[in-house]
Parts: sequence; structure tokens; C-alpha cells
Amino acid sequence: MIRWEEATKRYGAGPPALDGLSLEVPAGETCVLVGPSGGGKTTALKMVNRLVEPTSGRVLIDGADVAGADPVTLRRGIGYVIQQVGLFPHLDVAANVATVPRLLGWDRRRIGARVDELLDLVGLDAATYRHRRPDELSGGQRQRVGVARALAADPPILLMDEPFGAVDPVTRARLQDEFLRLQRALRRTVVLVTHDIDEALRLGDRLAVLAAGGRLEQYGTPAEVLGRPATDFVAGFVGAGRTLRRLDLLSAADALVAPGAGDGPSVDAAASLTEALSALLTSDAALVTVRRDGAPAGAVTLDSIRAALRRAPEGEAQPGLEHEGAADGDGEGGDR
Amino acid sequence: MALALALAVPPAVALGVAAARRPRLAALAVGTAGVIFTVPSLALFALLVGPLGLGTAPAVTALALYSVLPVLRNTVVGLHEVPPEAVEAARGMGMTEAQALWRVRLPLALPVVVGGIRVAAVTAVGVATVAALVAAGGLGDSIFAGLRADDTTEVLAATAVIAGLALTVDAGLALAERTLRRGR
Repeated sequence: MIRWEEATKRYGAGPPALDGLSLEVPAGETCVLVGPSGGGKTTALKMVNRLVEPTSGRVLIDGADVAGADPVTLRRGIGYVIQQVGLFPHLDVAANVATVPRLLGWDRRRIGARVDELLDLVGLDAATYRHRRPDELSGGQRQRVGVARALAADPPILLMDEPFGAVDPVTRARLQDEFLRLQRALRRTVVLVTHDIDEALRLGDRLAVLAAGGRLEQYGTPAEVLGRPATDFVAGFVGAGRTLRRLDLLSAADALVAPGAGDGPSVDAAASLTEALSALLTSDAALVTVRRDGAPAGAVTLDSIRAALRRAPEGEAQPGLEHEGAADGDGEGGDR
Repeated sequence: MALALALAVPPAVALGVAAARRPRLAALAVGTAGVIFTVPSLALFALLVGPLGLGTAPAVTALALYSVLPVLRNTVVGLHEVPPEAVEAARGMGMTEAQALWRVRLPLALPVVVGGIRVAAVTAVGVATVAALVAAGGLGDSIFAGLRADDTTEVLAATAVIAGLALTVDAGLALAERTLRRGR
């Protein structure tokens, strides 16, 4: 569990970089710090591993103030994925991944086995990539190595600063899928910084929306932030497409009405309402049959989608990740 | 010459490391080394013969003094050019300052440092020739002897050998520099 208590950072006389942030991230959850630049997201993140010391307030990990920990020991116990990845260009992939285990003095055999295991975990063939240099890798591969390096010593906490920022949109989407798959398996406490609201909604169990001047505007699940923006700033930041985004977070099962016809368009119960609406709009039918394990379980109509959107803000639409987890339990990447 | 470099390089690199994070120290050190570097070699030898007498001592001292500037300056520049995200990653993953220096910053700055050593070495070959004037011996003796005897052949032969030596040293260190750069 990570907890910021009234954490403030000032540089000089201007407005604070981070203004009295109070936030708690439960163990095993992904908290996304999201907002425009100047919102203090990275500042808040770096307070956790003491790369930034708060001017006032404090940060606690499992109840202990990080200010009381030795920074070097603290950092070796926290995975860190930085902007631009920051792989060591003079070391090969294996040596990069082995950084923290070496600092911790693991023996060579254990390090070698761990490196192979991690490369496999992030989807890189160990035999092929172990001895490559960072400049022989694509952007996406570098990001993967960066994640493997952060996970090397099996830290319970992972800090990720714009981890998927430096890659093209297609690679980015794939890396996001892989992150969700990994996080479902590993259940680390993750703090992730991004300026991209779509990425935040997709990856976060909770979102902390920070505005310029380092003010926390809202802290909640993706469904809460989309359904009930706490301030005009959040509403503006989430943007005009927020209703459509909410459809991504709801499943066809959330908008189920009377049994469907059986023919015409159909979707799986676990499909998002976006898919159901697409199926409606691209056919002449007035309803889309919803199937559960192949058998018709009901239908979705335009009216039932409206009703689901009206209901959802009251909190029953839990983070979309849960739906996704149920939908592809065999570990394939989600396709939302 | 090799002795002069061996004497000059470690302190110059150490000073460069110390100065890399301290802009005022860097300005002072590079400025001072720069002043020394601009003193003509003949004048520097003349100054050193006073306290050190004739022979090898003033020659090695002068060469070492000349070597400081390129090595110091390139160390400072090389450390500045290390990608900041690599340094941040090193700190963020729990390296101490010393570990970050030895495992990340210096290895990444090394090709540039070697570039500085290369400049120092080539300069040293040239200056060492003049060291014949302070009775340090060497190939410079042949040139001066040839000049006195009006023996053009001897002058040219000695000059060719010295030039060849400078080129060989330069090529060797250039190769080392290139290998290091490819390695990063």
C-alpha cells in the first residue's frame, strides 16, 4: 500500500509542483496519475522512491514513512520504469535486466536464470535477445526490456513514468495489452504516470486526475471519473467522447433486456457496449442478440444502452478490467 | 612521453569527474589548464629548467602539463553527454553515486575521454621533439644536430620518423576510440 499524505513540492517561489496530494493506493492495484504537463504527476511518482523529497507532507509505504528509509535500499526494492526507458546503452539486454540483482549480490547462475525468465515473461526470446545491445532493438522491444529490468528483483511496487510514451500507437496498444496481462498475473502495486486519458482509463484500477499547479481534481475508478467528473476540469480533460468511452467500460450484460430473437446481429455477453452499439448501427435490426456460451441470453437495444449509461454512474459499473478478466481468463490479451 | 601521459591522465580524469557536476570548478580547472596549454613549449621548458634542471624531469613535467587540458576537458564533456535518463535509471534502481559513476557514467564517457588522450598523445609527440633543447635526448637531438651540421637528410629522416610516430600513436588511439564507441 502506498499513501501520500498532504505531500507538497515547491521549487522556488512559484506555484507548487505538487500541492497537498493525499492519496492511497491499495496493494495489488494500478493507480494511474493522469493530467496535463505541469500537474506534478512525475513529482508525485518520484516521491515514492525518494528521487524527489517532499517540501512538506510525507509518503508512506505499508505504513512506514519513506523518509526514514535508506534511499539506496528503498530503491532496490521498488521497480522503476522511466520515461525514454533509460536502458544502459553500453550493456547488453541481459546485463541491463540484471542491474538490480547484481546490486543485490545474487550469484551468477540465479541471475542468468532470472534474466531468461523475465525476457520470456515480457515476450522476448531469451536466446535471441539476451546479448543484443539496446540500439539493436525496436522501440517496443526496449520498452519490454525496461519492464523486465524493473521486475528483476521481484519488487512488490512498480513505478512507471510514461512507460509506453516513446512508441508508435500500434506497439503502444500491444504493450498496454501485455501490461494488463502481466498485472493480472503478478498483482503488483503499480503507480503509472501518463498524460493520455485513454491509456489511463484502460490501465488503471483507479485514476488520480491532477491539474496544473499539482492539484488533485478527482480520484476514482475509470467508471466514476467518466460517469461523474468531479470538476469542470476533469470533464474537460476526459473530453467530449466520454459517453462513448463509458460504453467501453460496460459490457453487453449490463444492458440486457428481454430475450433476443436468435437471428440477426449478435454479440457475446462479455463484449463491450461499444461492440454491441456498433453491431446495432451497422445492421437494420432494432436489437442485438446477446449470447452467453453461444446460447441467446437476451438482447441489447438503443433504449437499454441509454438505461445502462444512466444506471452506471451510481457505481455499479466497476472497472472495466474486471469484465475483461472474466472474458479472457486463459490469459490472452484483451481486445478492447 | 608514455610516462608523462601516465602521470597526467589519472589526475586529469579525476579532476574531470569532480568538475562535471560543479560548473564553477569546471570553468576554473579547464581555464587554468587552457592557460598552460597555450604557453609555447619553448617558454614552458625555459620556465621548468629553473626549478628542475636539465634532462628528463622538465621534459616529462611539461608533457604532463600539456596533457591535462585535453583529457580534463574531454572528461567533463564526456560525462555531460551521458544520457540523463541512463543516470536517472541508475539512481532510481538503487545505485550509489560511486556505483553510478563506475558502472554507468564513466563507461559511457570513455570514448570521449580516450579522444582527449589521443589529442594529448599527439601533442606530446610534437612537444617531446623540442625537449631535446633541455637535454632530454630523443629524436629531437637528431633534428637539431642535423640543423647544426646543415645535413638536410638527417633532419628529414628524423622528422619523418617523428611524424610516423605521431601518426601511429594517433591511429592506435583512434582505433581504441572507435571500438569503444561501437561498444556502447
